Amino acid sequence: MLVAGLGNEYRSDDGAGPAVAAYVSGRMPTVDSKVISEPLDLIGAWDDADLAVVADATRSGSPPGTVQLVDLGAGEDAASSAGPMSSHGMDLPRVLRLARAMGHAPHHVAVVGIEGENFADGVGLSPAVALAVSEAGELVIRVIDEAASCA
Amino acid sequence: MTHQRPADSRTVHVEGLARVEGEGSLLVEVRDGTVETVELEIFEPPRFFEAFLQGRRHTEAPDITARICGICPVAYQTSACLAMEDACGVEITDQIAALRRLLYCGEWIQSHALHIHFLHAPDFFGCEDAVELAGLDLPAVQRGLEIKKVGNHLMEAIGGRAIHPVNVRVGGFYRAPSREELAALVEPLRRARDAALVSVGWVAGFEFPDIEIEYRFVSLRHPDYYAIESGRVVSSEGLDVDVKGLSDLVVEDHVARSNALHARLGGQDMYLTGPLSRYALNYGQLSPLAREAAAAAGLGTVCNNPFKSITVRAVELVYACEEALRLIAAYEPPDPPAVEVPGTAGTGYGASEAPRGLLFHRYELDSDGLIRAARIVPPTSQNLLCMEDDLRRVAQANLSLPDEELGWLCEQTVRNYDPCISCATHFLDVSVERR
Repeated sequence: MLVAGLGNEYRSDDGAGPAVAAYVSGRMPTVDSKVISEPLDLIGAWDDADLAVVADATRSGSPPGTVQLVDLGAGEDAASSAGPMSSHGMDLPRVLRLARAMGHAPHHVAVVGIEGENFADGVGLSPAVALAVSEAGELVIRVIDEAASCA
Repeated sequence: MTHQRPADSRTVHVEGLARVEGEGSLLVEVRDGTVETVELEIFEPPRFFEAFLQGRRHTEAPDITARICGICPVAYQTSACLAMEDACGVEITDQIAALRRLLYCGEWIQSHALHIHFLHAPDFFGCEDAVELAGLDLPAVQRGLEIKKVGNHLMEAIGGRAIHPVNVRVGGFYRAPSREELAALVEPLRRARDAALVSVGWVAGFEFPDIEIEYRFVSLRHPDYYAIESGRVVSSEGLDVDVKGLSDLVVEDHVARSNALHARLGGQDMYLTGPLSRYALNYGQLSPLAREAAAAAGLGTVCNNPFKSITVRAVELVYACEEALRLIAAYEPPDPPAVEVPGTAGTGYGASEAPRGLLFHRYELDSDGLIRAARIVPPTSQNLLCMEDDLRRVAQANLSLPDEELGWLCEQTVRNYDPCISCATHFLDVSVERR
């Protein structure tokens, strides 16, 4: 089990992922929670996990602060259908496909996204994004709880 | 990639340059068969950080500047530490300097392994990305990942974590790792060195565009070692100055179309930093094994083909693994792990060789050790004019290519530099206009 907060808090709303990871860490201190800047660094961090929940800022065109759950599932092709939703260079679905090709993928990956508004240099989340952190954090916890109940 | 064909021009638009860490745009204008304009625009986060640092304590600079780049935080930390120690007139011990160099080797291993195998190599196979490359050559991608992991582990052992190390402070480290902790890395580093040698042979077999450019090389040079974490600044034209001398010489022009600054030496000359420069100016200080690997790969003592920077990086990867092994064998834990650096009024300079090139910092401190002014000049800013010049040459020599192929070749030309635009946003749009 891994919760990864993807992003950089010095890039405004790109810090949404780390903020969600911190929220979850506060509520579930026993869960392995990491802040990761580059999606490729997930390979190595999540290799043996049954479930990885990745919190990330998104740029999908939804209103700022919109929280989305994207289940990247366990199938070989599931990742490729997710599309480029991450704000990062090598996007998450691509990293997951690479991890699967190399045999370094967790069994199940879920992405909790918060739609960002401002990705300029700077610290602090936009008001709508900051308000959505607890909603996204609770969603991460729900995903973890549901996975545990199915185990 | 989209194609638009207005009546009087042709445009190739690449929506986001893949495998480059950052955002920007590239415009190539062709008129009557001649490349007339090349404009590479990037957005530079260090400018934000320069303002953000004002009023902060001198001890905060390493941690804050490490956030500029997720790929090369140690470079930012090291240059910041060197500059603060210079400003405050403090010298670190040899043991601390050695540990700092060892941490930096971890960053070189991590960053070079990433760029060679995941970001740059796909170009030479005509692949969109490392996922596609894995379908063609899975062992090579796996080898890259294994090497990168060893770099990560080295950074974790010394820096506290692989990304944005937390153990670095002005004057040294919060804690020195034990000999046993580092000894555990010896076997993985040996395997990484051997794997890097395989990668040198692998990239040497790629097909490279035939282009030679007479660059003005600029890099650090250390009297004893292949320069990584410190040294004087030298050039292929006889420059030999300290970091203050470089800072005084480098003039950055603001160009209206871009918020990136264009650096010139003496206000006039474009210059190149990075692996080609380090290699050309410090070849004799590479280890015998690294020189042997370079020779086997067909490299001379100077490499002027920017597309072969991938081979030079692979040679440096071998060197970084070997150097890490040497430093671990000679390791004496520094005690104490840091020297105290009380803040005093002054100006300090620091430079180190980030994986993608020379990075220098300059800070002015007040009597309380608060930062009054900061200047951070990253390698990508220094290389911008050379990048545009390369693009002009490459585009001009390949105008017969269809727009899509020309756009692809231009992207490759940018990727030769492993440009660190990362800290900005994430896409580079490429346009080729023919009139």
